[in-house]
Amino acid sequence: MITKFTQLLSVGALALGASFGTAHAAETVKVGILHSLSGTMAISETSLRDVLLFTFDEINAKGGVLGKKIEPVVVDGASNWPLFAEKAKQLLEQDKVAVTFGCWTSVSRKSVLPVYEKNNGLLFYPVQYEGEEESQNVAYTAEAVNQQATPAVDYYLAEGKKKFYLLGSDYVYPQTTNLVLLEYLLSKGVKLENIGGGFKKDESGKIISAGKYTPFGHTDYQQIVSEIKQFAASGDACVISTLNGDTNVPFFKEYAAAGLSAEKCPVVSFSISEDEFRGLPAKQLVGQLGCWTYFQSINTPANKKFVADFQAWLKTTKTPGIVKDGRVTCSPMVLSYVGVYLWKAAVEKAGSFDVDKVRAAYKSGLSFDGPGGKVTTQKNMHVTKNVFIGETKADGQFKIVKSFDNVYGEPWLKGKFKAK
Amino acid sequence: MSAPTTRRIEFIAVAVIATLLIVVFPLLNSAGVISNFTLNLWGKYLCYALLAISVDLLWGYTGLLSLGQALFFSLGGYMLGMHLMRMIGDLGQYKKPIPDFLIFLGWTELPTFWKPFSSFPFAAAMVILLPGLVALLFGFLAFRSRIKGVYFSILTQALTYGGSLMFFRNDMLMGGNNGFTDYKFLLGADVRDASTQRALFIATAVTLVLVYLGCSWLSRTKLGLIQRAIRDGENRVLFSGYAAAGFKLFIFVVAALIASVGGALYVPQVGIINPSEMTPDKSLEAVVWVAVGGRGTLVGPVIGAIVVNALKSWATRAYPDLWLFFLGGMFIIVVLLLPGGIVSLPGRIKTWWARRTAASAETAAPLAS
Amino acid sequence: MNFFHRARRLLVLAALSLGLLSRAADPARPIIAQAALAESPAQRIAIITTLIGSGDESIQGLLAAWKEDALFVYAAPDGAKIPVQLSGDKDDKDSQAATRVDTGKPLLSAAGQPLRLIAADLTAVEHTSALRRAMKAVLDLLDLSTPDLKKRISAIQTLGFAQDAEKLAALQARQKLETVPAAQLALREAIALIGLKDASTEVKLASLQELEALHPIGSADALRAALKEAEAASHPSLAAAARAALNAVDRHLTTVNFFGTLFRGLSLGSILLVVALGLAITFGLMGVINMAHGEMIAVGAYTTYVVQNVFGSGLALSPFGFSFHLPGMNTGGWLYESYFLFALPLSFLSAALVGIAMERTVIQWLYRRPLESLLATWGVSLFLQQFFRRVFGSNNVQVSSPSYLSDNWTFNDIIFGWNRVFVIGFAGLIVLGVWLVLTRTSLGLLIRAVMQNRNMASCMGVRTERVNMLTFGLGSGLAGLAGAFLSQIGNVGPSLGQSYIVDCFMTVVVGGVGNLPGTVVSAFGIGLADQSLQQILLNPVLGKITVLIAIILFLQWRPAGIFVTKSRSLEG
Repeated sequence: MITKFTQLLSVGALALGASFGTAHAAETVKVGILHSLSGTMAISETSLRDVLLFTFDEINAKGGVLGKKIEPVVVDGASNWPLFAEKAKQLLEQDKVAVTFGCWTSVSRKSVLPVYEKNNGLLFYPVQYEGEEESQNVAYTAEAVNQQATPAVDYYLAEGKKKFYLLGSDYVYPQTTNLVLLEYLLSKGVKLENIGGGFKKDESGKIISAGKYTPFGHTDYQQIVSEIKQFAASGDACVISTLNGDTNVPFFKEYAAAGLSAEKCPVVSFSISEDEFRGLPAKQLVGQLGCWTYFQSINTPANKKFVADFQAWLKTTKTPGIVKDGRVTCSPMVLSYVGVYLWKAAVEKAGSFDVDKVRAAYKSGLSFDGPGGKVTTQKNMHVTKNVFIGETKADGQFKIVKSFDNVYGEPWLKGKFKAK
Repeated sequence: MSAPTTRRIEFIAVAVIATLLIVVFPLLNSAGVISNFTLNLWGKYLCYALLAISVDLLWGYTGLLSLGQALFFSLGGYMLGMHLMRMIGDLGQYKKPIPDFLIFLGWTELPTFWKPFSSFPFAAAMVILLPGLVALLFGFLAFRSRIKGVYFSILTQALTYGGSLMFFRNDMLMGGNNGFTDYKFLLGADVRDASTQRALFIATAVTLVLVYLGCSWLSRTKLGLIQRAIRDGENRVLFSGYAAAGFKLFIFVVAALIASVGGALYVPQVGIINPSEMTPDKSLEAVVWVAVGGRGTLVGPVIGAIVVNALKSWATRAYPDLWLFFLGGMFIIVVLLLPGGIVSLPGRIKTWWARRTAASAETAAPLAS
Repeated sequence: MNFFHRARRLLVLAALSLGLLSRAADPARPIIAQAALAESPAQRIAIITTLIGSGDESIQGLLAAWKEDALFVYAAPDGAKIPVQLSGDKDDKDSQAATRVDTGKPLLSAAGQPLRLIAADLTAVEHTSALRRAMKAVLDLLDLSTPDLKKRISAIQTLGFAQDAEKLAALQARQKLETVPAAQLALREAIALIGLKDASTEVKLASLQELEALHPIGSADALRAALKEAEAASHPSLAAAARAALNAVDRHLTTVNFFGTLFRGLSLGSILLVVALGLAITFGLMGVINMAHGEMIAVGAYTTYVVQNVFGSGLALSPFGFSFHLPGMNTGGWLYESYFLFALPLSFLSAALVGIAMERTVIQWLYRRPLESLLATWGVSLFLQQFFRRVFGSNNVQVSSPSYLSDNWTFNDIIFGWNRVFVIGFAGLIVLGVWLVLTRTSLGLLIRAVMQNRNMASCMGVRTERVNMLTFGLGSGLAGLAGAFLSQIGNVGPSLGQSYIVDCFMTVVVGGVGNLPGTVVSAFGIGLADQSLQQILLNPVLGKITVLIAIILFLQWRPAGIFVTKSRSLEG
């Protein structure tokens, strides 16, 4: 009991130390970490905090940035979007951080965006997103739709798939992705009746978007799976899923129980990475596809070193609340990691922590050889990177079946593809 | 303490706090003593205080534990939010004259029901009308069939749950999960400016003081008396010839309006409204504020809202992993050991001194429904 | 091109007779080797196509390896090019064992030693999408004679939907050999589908009539295409036949959807019943608004997770900075799969224990204050959620379904998932169990006595405190059982309970508080209504919202639920 109490105390003390410890203010630069460490999104976002702390330690061990050690200021957005805005204000106005790494959901990014624009801060955003945004105060290391969804469609078309069922969680990323995919599929000559999931119309009755959407935390996929089964009955069908982490479990369990499999009707999911996979029923998922700009299974020395270093750091780190066992690396984590190094490169090129100068340096086309291969910054605050399509294996890893090199990150895709 | 003395003390306290909030804080802010961040944070707390009062008006005064007040709070916020979205004009990401999220969904024209919200008076009227109508309809149905006690709580919870499900749908054309954000202008002023935020803070403080005074007056009228009678023995009120349903409906609508106005003031200060604000959890959280502060009083909810939220702002930063333990623990402790909340502390300490040996359970009895 | 085409035809026929009549020869390896060495993609496709109909067992592995970039061309020191397959584990130099594609024997060096090659040094044999399709055609026909029934049927269907006249011969040949009714049916469908593309009107008409009789769901697309074609060619009899066939398919779909919805409604109702039954006891009988009911469900689900890991390789936990390792029994096969049967009683027990602890520490002070019990238990719920996060991590944990819960029976195209059938039976058993406990045991008698009149029971010498504790334990234990089951169909995570709590309360309130038969009826009613609305509105959320509104209106009509517990007490 007493040990527990002292543990709690030390947890508190450390947390206090992390946020208020400014003993060596002169030699350090404050960097914000803004992720949900509690609430529904903690599932995904805690891993990003971990990898960021690892990256800071790695950089600090080599002398820091411009000779200054990185001092992390970790705040919890608690999966509460107004709180994200409040915490962002705190980081920028009170802690005066040089840069922030954070946000997972689009809504959290949208919520903090005005804060960063008003205070001229810089936010590095690492998670696949819907595009259609290009703020000067956000560095999007994330996958844009054309670095994930359209390559997956290309892969399917090459495999001879003719029918596409669009399924997603009801939030902006799937909505926008499916809107772009509808245009993309039509531009590739896929017929309207071969696109499943339903269509949306505007007041004049014109089709404006497609897809079936389920709310967060939806648990009952019986009806949707039976609909997919009927859709796929004539063969050559596939599912493009933008369901978010949580709902994949009931969906895939139902999918397997209805006798659907990767051979009959494969599912490509854009929101399942190795990290989410830990909570998914591996057996039911084998052979289904994922599409990211990084997989842990990438067989390069750089990636092997990254994975080994991260695992070693997990074993030794003293930060409380970090799960040490059964950890994996995944695309959002690597894009966070890459983001820190790109920021470092930009700061070093600019010779200053000043946001305007760093931004100018960042836009000039910096490159970093990360675990997923070369990543190059672009003028539009996005990055060029490699895209991989992988098949899931029973051990929770992906077997890479296709890769696309140096894909340019294009945020503005709506209306770009014209139907034939 | 005799009633007049209490009232005099209360009056002085309200006057002092009102001056502080309405005059002193904003002055200190423009002088730079209080940071914009802090003032903004307090503005948020005051909006929460309005929500807490609305919960207390029902729970503490009428014995109706509504778990749906967050719905009215958010509805008010959404109504003003719609106007704020229209005021972005073509300054959004797309530089188009309709809100960005509609373009995300493939719309090129403004849907018809959005059109009137370009006008501020219309939006302001809707802040009152829509939540009022929802409350009237639901309250009418619920009270007519004499749903009360825990059934009322569960049904209001279902109501706000249904509302959140509805607003989470992007097809509702209300921004879905993202809700509304990135506001630019309100009544011609830039919402992000410190001076606008200060004005909003003052407006919130004024509203809070008015609502406080109004409720305080209401509780002293005959209606307030009946209200408390309903809480303590609804059947006796009925047998005395009062139509309890009508009184309950009136209070329910008033409470919904207070919450709604709170929500409308909340949105431009926080800069975002989305459906997670109307999940049952948020309503329950508001109930915690009231319980912690002290229900059945008007000061209690205000104190509770401020204390719990200040604690939350601090704890999510200092002890992110432990915050929920905190909140859950606080709930259990207040319910079990301090049913009267913070405001009952002085009295309890006094009683405790008076009769150390007496069982404390007795003091809580009058509040039980 | 022309030459290839004719050669292909000939080879196809030859291969067909080879593949279907004799399966002993092993001619595929040299052909694949030849294809690998061919110069142009078109040549490769032509050669690979000749394999169609061959039943050779080496084909599958080799083509799969080709698709996965594991076939390479090795340039021998003497200049010969030898296609090889690399397989087996990599050693520290990244080299692997090499097998000759043409013979299936290890690749030997000049000295006669087996060679090990490094994949990165060689170039993989290319494959284009057109080639992969050609490979698929070969593999499809390969599966036509596989002994695995499911695979065979799927291969037959694939051929049918492709509507490739060239495959007709193979299907007809198979039809003569096929004995299993399901596969025969699939063959008839496939042949009829291919018949739609036939040049002669008679064959088309016969095919359409055949499809009308068989009404396979998957044929709708092909039928629509045939209808369009017939209308375009203004061929009224064909169009009419196509329309008739389409109507037959539509009618069949309606039936399938109707019974499917009925079954899905029953299964959802059973889930609601299982999760709400515990609440019907704690809330309905005891009057405690247990907002932590959802977390009791989560306790059961996490128990299942722990049991699964104990049957498997063990589990490392690090709650609150301590770390310890639960040893695993490393079982496999049926013993491992039986973990779920052990998990059921343990889930009940663990949730019951947590429930009893909660009753002792918090709830026992709140029996006369239902609204406060709501608040306090919500506090407990937050507390427990954060506790799960600290112990099991904030990620969802993985619970795998045993194979006896993850397949299905398909009867007349209606899917009956085993897990769903299981939950319906499971719900029945639990209801029966609870009913027996309440009506046939002395504990049940005491429970009913205390719930009806606490003071009176107390006066009669019933130890009401103990009965309260046990009743609460029973209710929580039932929630735990529900959790064990939910782990088989959904997420196991800290907020598992939150997704069910509102549904639970609705079910109990609609059924009539304090009334178990009411809970049963309302669970099935809500389940059926929800699934029917989903099927009609084709939207999962709108269905749910409509059900919520319907419930609010329903309570107008019957404020005390379906079955009212009659009481003369004024305050009820």
